[in-house]
Amino acid sequence: MKDMPQTVFVVDDDDAVRNSLRMLLKSAGVHAEVCASAQEFLSTYEASHPGCLVLDVRMPGMSGLEMQHELNLRGATIPVIFITGHGDIPMAVEAMQHGAFDFLQKPFRDQELLDRVQRALARDSEYRARLRHTDQIRERLASLSPREREVLDLVTQGKANKMVAGDLGVSQRTVEIHRAHVMQKMEAGSLAELVRMMMAVAP
Amino acid sequence: MTAPTPEVLALLAATIDAVVIMDDRGRITAFNASAEEMFGYRAADALGRNVSMLMTSADRAKHDDYLKRYLAGGEASVLRRGRDVRARHRDGSEFSVFLSVDRIANTAPPQFVGFLHDTSLRRKALATLEQERHINRLYLDLAQVMLVATDRAGLVQLVNQRAIRVMRKPGAQIVGSNWIENCVAPEDRAAARTAFRALLMSGSDEPQISEYHVRPSGGEDRFITWRGVALRDTENVATGIMLSGEDITDQRRAESEAHKALERMNSVSRLATMGEMAAGISHELNQPLAAIANYAQACVRLLRLPAADIPEVSGALEQIAGQALRAGEIIRRIRSLVRNEDVRRESQDINDLIRDVHGLLASDARVHDGRLALDLAMQLPRVMVDGVQIQQVLMNLVHNAFEAQGAEHDGAPFEVRIATRLTDAADVEVSVSDLGPGLAGEVEQRIFEPFFTTKASGTGLGLAISRSIIKAHDARLGYRANQPRGACFYFVLPAHQELPP
Repeated sequence: MKDMPQTVFVVDDDDAVRNSLRMLLKSAGVHAEVCASAQEFLSTYEASHPGCLVLDVRMPGMSGLEMQHELNLRGATIPVIFITGHGDIPMAVEAMQHGAFDFLQKPFRDQELLDRVQRALARDSEYRARLRHTDQIRERLASLSPREREVLDLVTQGKANKMVAGDLGVSQRTVEIHRAHVMQKMEAGSLAELVRMMMAVAP
Repeated sequence: MTAPTPEVLALLAATIDAVVIMDDRGRITAFNASAEEMFGYRAADALGRNVSMLMTSADRAKHDDYLKRYLAGGEASVLRRGRDVRARHRDGSEFSVFLSVDRIANTAPPQFVGFLHDTSLRRKALATLEQERHINRLYLDLAQVMLVATDRAGLVQLVNQRAIRVMRKPGAQIVGSNWIENCVAPEDRAAARTAFRALLMSGSDEPQISEYHVRPSGGEDRFITWRGVALRDTENVATGIMLSGEDITDQRRAESEAHKALERMNSVSRLATMGEMAAGISHELNQPLAAIANYAQACVRLLRLPAADIPEVSGALEQIAGQALRAGEIIRRIRSLVRNEDVRRESQDINDLIRDVHGLLASDARVHDGRLALDLAMQLPRVMVDGVQIQQVLMNLVHNAFEAQGAEHDGAPFEVRIATRLTDAADVEVSVSDLGPGLAGEVEQRIFEPFFTTKASGTGLGLAISRSIIKAHDARLGYRANQPRGACFYFVLPAHQELPP
């Protein structure tokens, strides 16, 4: 999976707020896409698209909170920064309880927004990297033969080659060959690294 | 014993009083028709019998002695002087008569004539009169109003208990004194004198109303509303006046308190309406402020770049100017709402008032995911209204409509419509209607009652105050079912006739 550019999605029904946000983000070198409603965003958004969401709490039609709920149902992991008015603090609290990344009260300093956006983007890429990493490990695991997988499981339990050979009823030499294949296929430089990989994908 | 002459008989027959003539031994020699009627004896039965049969047993025993003493040369106390005595009817009942007796001149042996006047009726009339006086006194004293009668000079002739209680002084200190100088509060005496003179001069029996304070001894002045009439003699000359006064001090105080409470409620309601809309207003105001901040900060960043994109920066600056004006407009509208000025009715175009408040109402609509539609008739006559108050009513009605929208509205935005139209009577009707659930029968009955509410957090004052505002504009806030469904609140403002220049 190749890296897509990170995008800040802005969803706000107010033309002036929406367009000024796009301009502010652009002036800071951040790529932004804007939507005038939650429905518009949901109909075009793909979960594979990295980035973060800047979302107005209070909108006609589907509110920011309802949209967050919808994203949660879809299993979307995109970090959400809510922007709220003065009277919306209880809503902001509710949003945080439902996993919002952060919230900002209007009007705000550009640096406050940009800092949060940067942190949200970092969180998203970190998460996606981790996701990519475990995907790779699973792919490599899938490439092992059944016997190699057995050897891997026993080795990562801390058993020596001799004990593995005894458990599997094969010669120690055979275990050594399987083990070399496992290290190669898993692209592991050491037993310790192999153990970390297995912990990363442990259920 | 000589029989009466025909002239005497005729005279006796014509006399209304009972006439009885007796001889020197007390025997009846004449008994006229009135006597027959008074005593129940026929003349034929009475003649020749002793007159004592007409007397009570107490008098009867003494009568013969009186007669003998007189004939023996003594005095008779009864002669030529009338006196009240008791008489006895044939049926045994006794009654009062006024008796005068005289000796008939030149009779020998002497004869006596007695005239008997039945006084029972007079006594009864006197007793009745006494009772009536008593009842009248009770009437006066039972009355919940103060009653005062004076003569022409203003000297009190009569006061009732109520007046005595209000004045907190004994009746004896009021009766005989000058009403105005003695009882009326000094500041109001001139007014009381004017009312007094007007009553004496008036030719009418129609009660005249006046209002002034009285000053009780050792108490606060009481404010009394008086109904007065002139008392007249048989020549129709005013001899004095009669006043009935109602103490309205407490009532006035209560009215004034109620008025103050309503004023307070009005401003509380305005604040409450503001509170309910505060979220919408702060959202509304935050939008342009946030946009301004964003654009300005973007400009700063763009200008720091080595090759600043001047057209982009100038576009952002234009946006900033526009958003600042938008914020100012919002503030102007809010200020016009929180102004707590006196009612100022001016000739206004109702459509302008509605358009003026439309922005704020639309923000309320947005908060409720709704839409506000205007359906304004052109060429309407102007109306005399307090614009802010009418706008407050509209805000209340629109806000209620959005609050009342049902949970289900088919996905479509809930629409509230403000409409104006010319009525058949050429007045201006303003209506606020929606396509919501409308009002159930029992709700419709009570919807204008203060403190009646269907909202969980409502005060129940909004509609009541709206109605009182509309009432103050000589109009009525009414409700009717909307077509094809929903609720419709409306009021009709009288067209303001512009005076030709």
